Amino acid sequence: MRGYFLQACAAMTLSVVILGGTAHAQLSNAGNAETLSEDLQKAAQTPTSDVPDPWEGFNRKMFATHMFLDNNLLVPGAKAYRAVTPAKGRKGIRKFLHNARTPSILINDILQGEWKRAGKTTSRFFVNSTVGFLGFADPAAHLGIESHDEDFGQTLASWGVSSGPYLFLPLLGPSSIRDGIGAGVDIAFDPLIYIDTDPARFAQYSRAGMTGLSVREPLIEPLEDIQEKSLDYYASLRSFYLQARKREINNGRTTYDDLPDIGEFEEFDDLE
Amino acid sequence: MIKRPQNITRRLALAGASIAIVLGGAISPAWADRAAEDYIQGILDEAFVALNVENEDEKLDALAELVDKYVDERRVAIFTLGQYARRITDEQKEEFIPLFKKYATIVYQDALSNYSGEHLVVTGSVDRSERDIIVNSKVANARPGDQWAEIVVHWRVYRNRDGSMNVLDAGAENIWLALEQRSQFTSVIANNGGGQKGMDALIKQLRDQVGA
Repeated sequence: MRGYFLQACAAMTLSVVILGGTAHAQLSNAGNAETLSEDLQKAAQTPTSDVPDPWEGFNRKMFATHMFLDNNLLVPGAKAYRAVTPAKGRKGIRKFLHNARTPSILINDILQGEWKRAGKTTSRFFVNSTVGFLGFADPAAHLGIESHDEDFGQTLASWGVSSGPYLFLPLLGPSSIRDGIGAGVDIAFDPLIYIDTDPARFAQYSRAGMTGLSVREPLIEPLEDIQEKSLDYYASLRSFYLQARKREINNGRTTYDDLPDIGEFEEFDDLE
Repeated sequence: MIKRPQNITRRLALAGASIAIVLGGAISPAWADRAAEDYIQGILDEAFVALNVENEDEKLDALAELVDKYVDERRVAIFTLGQYARRITDEQKEEFIPLFKKYATIVYQDALSNYSGEHLVVTGSVDRSERDIIVNSKVANARPGDQWAEIVVHWRVYRNRDGSMNVLDAGAENIWLALEQRSQFTSVIANNGGGQKGMDALIKQLRDQVGA
């Protein structure tokens, strides 16, 4: 297996989006409410303009909760998942879960006025849910209807809502206020949550669990590697996320304009 | 941009070159820096040889040698301290730089080892300024369907006053190592009392990390 760092970079941009599916289960374990509210108050008083992470105190507590859940739940689960499924099966499951998110993607396509993409999303859903065996295969891609992702965070961004401060949520991972709210709204776009029967609830929770495992499994080694090399794992993940998000804001275009200078370039100003 | 008549020849030449490039099937920005591209390709060719060394220890040594030869670690080290670079003592600085070199070498060894058996080739470059150039590269002849084949690996080249060049940073898909290191280091300093006290904490943690 190669490219841990690179894989992590690529996965970082994806995981935030995909993990939206697991948001149901997460917000309960928030630690000591009093100190948390103090943290948030402190954060609200901090000027946000030049601080990348004004809510750091709060976020680090959430991060600690996340690490506990990650070490005791997600990683062992993901390892077990890897042990019992063949690689091809895991790929099929990833596709199935993506297909199951179609209603939410479609709503976001429409809210963004992306009619062409909405058409593609609809065609993909019908092709893959039928000939594609409920989405385990992706014949639509072979027909030239490539998949894409949308979520409500991106919809808000397309409406001009700024991301707000960096936010770390247990199990959801690195995010921002806008994208965190977006993940909540995406749950509301999921038709399954409006069916109040035991089988529907079971399907909903197992899908959330499967999404968590399916996302975490390919990240076992990359994240382990980053953590091992890092003096401050929290700051590393934050930097990777914020750098990746910058690229996302530019719609996937790579720009070098906002990179900081490295070294004293000003000493050469008279030559330029 | 102000249009000046003497630019016309240059523009025509650029237009001709662009057409040639498009006809050749490659995409390259008009403001590419050929010298920096050649410089990086030379390093990547050396890295390809190093990465094909069978013995793991010898391979790591060869990569460390490349990092030492081409990366301006001193400049990067100071950069990773962010706003604290001006607030620490000279002794702290001199203690930090060799530790950073070791740390950066490990990070580069790790990142490059992932490309064992692969040959990275330069695909183009972008000038941020005459002295600050981004050179992009990709795996040559990647296996079809390899999802990492499309990943662009960037190199940040610094042109010194005398015209010689150094590597300052490496990244993938616009995620850069030195930026991530700065995020970590300034965070460690800030969370350990800031300033010189925080710097002592960073030096200690870095020493533990690199096993020095």
